[in-house]
Amino acid sequence: MYFALFDLPSTPVAASTGIAWPDVALSFFAIVLEGAPFLLLGAIISGLVDVYLPAGLIKDWLPRSKTQGIFAAMLTGVFFPLCECGTMPVVQRLIRKGVPPAVATVYLLAAPGLNPLAMLSTWVAFRNQEPWLMVALRLGFTVAILTFLGFWLMRVRPENMLRPEMITGPARVRPEMTPNPGLELTPRPGSSLGGLQEFTGAVIRDFTGVLLFLIIGAAVAALFSTGFNRNLLAPIGQNIFLGPIAGIVLAQMLCLCSTTNAFIIAAFAPFSIPAKIAFMIAGPLIDLKLYWVYRSCYQARFVHLLWLLATSAVFMLTFLYALKP
Amino acid sequence: MNTLARQLTFFAPAAVMTAWATVMLHTVASGRINELLSPMFRNYVIACAAALIAFSILYLLLFQPTQKTAPSFAPTGTLRQLGRWLVLLLPVIAAAVFSPSAFSSTTISKRLDPNASYQMPTWYDKNKQVAQNVMDTDPSQAAPVEVTDLIQLGQHPDQAKAFADRKVRSVGHIMLTPDGSPKLIRLIMWCCAADAVPVTVDLKGSIKGTFQRDDWLEVTGTAQFPAGKDGKTTPVINVDTITPTQEPDEPYLSP
Repeated sequence: MYFALFDLPSTPVAASTGIAWPDVALSFFAIVLEGAPFLLLGAIISGLVDVYLPAGLIKDWLPRSKTQGIFAAMLTGVFFPLCECGTMPVVQRLIRKGVPPAVATVYLLAAPGLNPLAMLSTWVAFRNQEPWLMVALRLGFTVAILTFLGFWLMRVRPENMLRPEMITGPARVRPEMTPNPGLELTPRPGSSLGGLQEFTGAVIRDFTGVLLFLIIGAAVAALFSTGFNRNLLAPIGQNIFLGPIAGIVLAQMLCLCSTTNAFIIAAFAPFSIPAKIAFMIAGPLIDLKLYWVYRSCYQARFVHLLWLLATSAVFMLTFLYALKP
Repeated sequence: MNTLARQLTFFAPAAVMTAWATVMLHTVASGRINELLSPMFRNYVIACAAALIAFSILYLLLFQPTQKTAPSFAPTGTLRQLGRWLVLLLPVIAAAVFSPSAFSSTTISKRLDPNASYQMPTWYDKNKQVAQNVMDTDPSQAAPVEVTDLIQLGQHPDQAKAFADRKVRSVGHIMLTPDGSPKLIRLIMWCCAADAVPVTVDLKGSIKGTFQRDDWLEVTGTAQFPAGKDGKTTPVINVDTITPTQEPDEPYLSP
């Protein structure tokens, strides 16, 4: 693509192929400004859970079997949806309150992926391109992938999954056991506002703890979403084998919200239906921004494995769908 | 020295949260928020800023400096702590100061699908109303239209036929495709500027002028909706004049 510079219609001058760093700053600023309110909302919910929801009560609510817990987590993701940024503090708090990490992680993945708004946006975005089929494929494939990941997660030991400081059980955490060891909270003595003190401390600790990772993730996402020429993937977007890969790669680089991604990809003509489905499913599961957000809670090795399995599952399903006559 | 470091470390969380709130409120008050977030998310930023200020005050009221001293480079040591707070603070301030008001043509070109046929879906069924509003304008004056209005009109053959040959004026950037055909371009934003994608209308006719890259331009001309090879109508402006203009209050269009 070329841009006119002077004295139209003079010879077009090729646009630079380099990275426009001011644009990276603009993207970064927009991402953190959009994500911070939801992160704070998640931290406030986390604080409320910390202070007002006894660990015993959560355990009573949880199904006895882990398998049922996995499906309960998916249903919770449907009925209590949160965006990607807001879910992390809540999940960290649930794990600290004694919710099995496998169940909490399925909720982490389901809350954006099965978000009813994401399904509605898919219908609207594809309303001239078989909307019910697109919604059914997005919903069905996401449930199938979450079930697969849920059964895998059940077999992963918490000490191989979580950052060491996360394995604290329901006990009150010490400052150095949080993702943000820079924060030491020493209550003023003699305060009669113990509940508010605990709530405030939990919110600030969770917000600033995950914010660090959101900033890193947003910086990486801004760099790739600004610098990467998405038309480079266009030639392979219709290929049966490479199309779904192109969809996954693009989704994981652009780091879009689950409620938005359908609009962006619906109009991207070079992509086939399987490539578009892969794009819509893969992004909310894990992308360059979420990789860093997940690192606030999970070990690097686990996040790499989660990426590998989630990405492979998305590819397998969409590739098989592409093979259908 | 230790006392000063302890005090700095104690005030850092409140200072960082207040700084974030200040950046957010300044972004809103200065109108820069229009260049960053879609209207739906702007109130969330104001609420977030208010909440961050509230939590900063609560923090100062409910907590006190720690009496413990850890080695400076220990995880809870003062230097490590201050370093972490700076990481939370400096990038967002730097981005607020150095980020431009809109994406450059370099980035737009990487996001543009030259063959995209945007449907302009919206959360509300307002497409037809938008088109009707455009058609209801005074026919003796050039109708102020957005690129997206023309795309929407082009998707309804009856409306496109009724609106064809009307004088229009529209604001955007101009670019040339590799085959030399010029297009008027605007970005539409779904959530935030990071997800903005370009939409275009073809330009034909008298396309002359001296412009800088990334200039905002107002194009006046006649709207036409010729049928393409695939039978779909493609909006075109048959250009009379192109003049530099101010950046619009809303540099991005909302769906």
